[in-house]
Amino acid sequence: MSTATNTTTSAATGTAAAEFVGVSQVYGSATAVDNIDLQIEPGKLTTLLGPSGCGKTTSLRMLAGYLQPTSGQIFINGIDSTTLPPEKRNLGMVFQSYALFPHMTVADNVGYGLKLRKVAAKELQQRVAESLDLVGLGHLASRKPKALSGGQQQRVALARAIAIRPSLLLLDEPLSNLDARLRIQMREEIRRIQGETGLTVVLVTHDQDEALEMSDRMVVMRAGRIMQTGAPAEVFTAPANRFVADFLGYENFLTFTGSGLVTVRPEHLTVTPAAASGTPLNAHISVGASSGFVLPATVTSVAYRGTDEIVTVNLAESFGVDAAGAAATTTLKVSMHRGSHDAHLAPLRPGDSVDVSANAGDIVTLPTE
Amino acid sequence: MRSRPVLFTLAILGYAIMIVPILFVILSSFTAGKTLSFPPQGFSLQWFEKALAYEPFIESLGSSLLLAIVTTIIALGLGIPVALAIARSSLRGKSTIQSFFVSPLIVPELVIGLALYQQLMITLRLDSFIALLLGHVIILLPYAVRVTGATLALSDLSIEDAARGLGATPFYTFRTVTLPLMRPGIISAALLSFITSFNNVPLSLLLQSREFRTFPVTMLDYVQQSYDPMIAAMSTLIMAGTVVIAIIAERTVGFAKIFGGINK
Repeated sequence: MSTATNTTTSAATGTAAAEFVGVSQVYGSATAVDNIDLQIEPGKLTTLLGPSGCGKTTSLRMLAGYLQPTSGQIFINGIDSTTLPPEKRNLGMVFQSYALFPHMTVADNVGYGLKLRKVAAKELQQRVAESLDLVGLGHLASRKPKALSGGQQQRVALARAIAIRPSLLLLDEPLSNLDARLRIQMREEIRRIQGETGLTVVLVTHDQDEALEMSDRMVVMRAGRIMQTGAPAEVFTAPANRFVADFLGYENFLTFTGSGLVTVRPEHLTVTPAAASGTPLNAHISVGASSGFVLPATVTSVAYRGTDEIVTVNLAESFGVDAAGAAATTTLKVSMHRGSHDAHLAPLRPGDSVDVSANAGDIVTLPTE
Repeated sequence: MRSRPVLFTLAILGYAIMIVPILFVILSSFTAGKTLSFPPQGFSLQWFEKALAYEPFIESLGSSLLLAIVTTIIALGLGIPVALAIARSSLRGKSTIQSFFVSPLIVPELVIGLALYQQLMITLRLDSFIALLLGHVIILLPYAVRVTGATLALSDLSIEDAARGLGATPFYTFRTVTLPLMRPGIISAALLSFITSFNNVPLSLLLQSREFRTFPVTMLDYVQQSYDPMIAAMSTLIMAGTVVIAIIAERTVGFAKIFGGINK
């Protein structure tokens, strides 16, 4: 089991808003998308998540019609759309750069797609106003894009895509050009708009927080393949393999003799001074992954981060940790929340002997690679 | 400015070197005297009257304007599609095509003129308007391709994708999005082409005939024979025309936009 996919490989059933069946995209010797099967559920927000080069944007561009798959089929609303040009797909796309028409007013930008659909002048005006109201920019209709802030341009791009009443709304890294605060605000905004319109949304992002917060379903990709598909909580609490775990912030990977590869989030590890544990060292080891662990270790560094501290510890050798497992590490990262009630505790210093522990429920077993 | 006195002085000096000689020409054109000298003797418009009545000037001015307008239209008509092809297609050998269309800039115009003179006028017996037309189109093409291409290279490709996604056919996208985006580039290329063609001497020297003479060459001929203030009056008139065009360009598109496209 080198790649774990939860999607079923079936022909278009008509229930999916869009479906990839065995889709590949090959550039010369490089495979950007490698034989993926994916169903986009109607009325849901699906994110394609992964690092750059994982094939998420390529997949979106194939869905939008800007790229032809090298092989495979793409169905939109049950219809084979693999070779349809973008103008015949009726999809609303929001680009990373917003791609507003700089020579047109905001209203003309939003009305562009409606004009092409021969919507009568009066209805066109009404729908432009509706779309702009939905993103809260009704008062800026006569401005040129250049006179707007990045966040406002983003909303115009959204309004323009929504105005045509697309069968799917595609968002390509829509928040990556915004500053941190605005990005958080737009996440909620996009969720609200999705809820109000009931649109099927496909969002491409490299930001796991964004995906976790916004998605109904997330699709984690790596090197052109789908690593895992599921609801955010499913993927977050039960990553299917080491890559997904790593990408979602599981930093500690351990191999115990007799148990496979396990992983624990830094927030789920606890460091206590070695003397305080009071139990003989050898007693901790046999417990393994199924019932939590306590391991002796030495602090190597402490990094202050405001709400927490990252304590890096080196595991003492020969305590049942199978360092030979290539996927495992002997260095653990622990995130310690230091609240005011911890103020009396002596701060940890490099060189301190400590015990690192985790509860059984926080330990995730991964398939060995 | 005040914090950089050296730079400020150099800028003033630069402008002075450019403008002062032109001022001398303008002032001497209003002279009441018989010779081109400075300071002008008295004030009169007599040399303007003479200039406007001097047939070779007026005739060659018409020829030069006609040549500049026609060659500009042809150069842009050829240059815009080439710029589009270079900027938008994924053709292999794109850079070779680009170098090919810019290469006339490297060849001395006299050499181009000589080649055209031999081939077109002597071998093919074409008349000088056609030969000049071809010659000018050759030297204008690099400007047309580069300057219109610069605006394309600067514009975001996904803007065209966005139009397609909203339902526009490739042609509708070109008409409503690409062409308007290229507008500043097209206008600056047109102005540059027009000025380059209108001012060109080397090609005209070789390719003109008794029937078709261009304005700069006529002026040169005139200066060689007689050195009177009429040439200054003619220069002043041309400059006034240029200033009017420049003001219109500034009002409609803006210099920053027109010439901004060249450097980037």
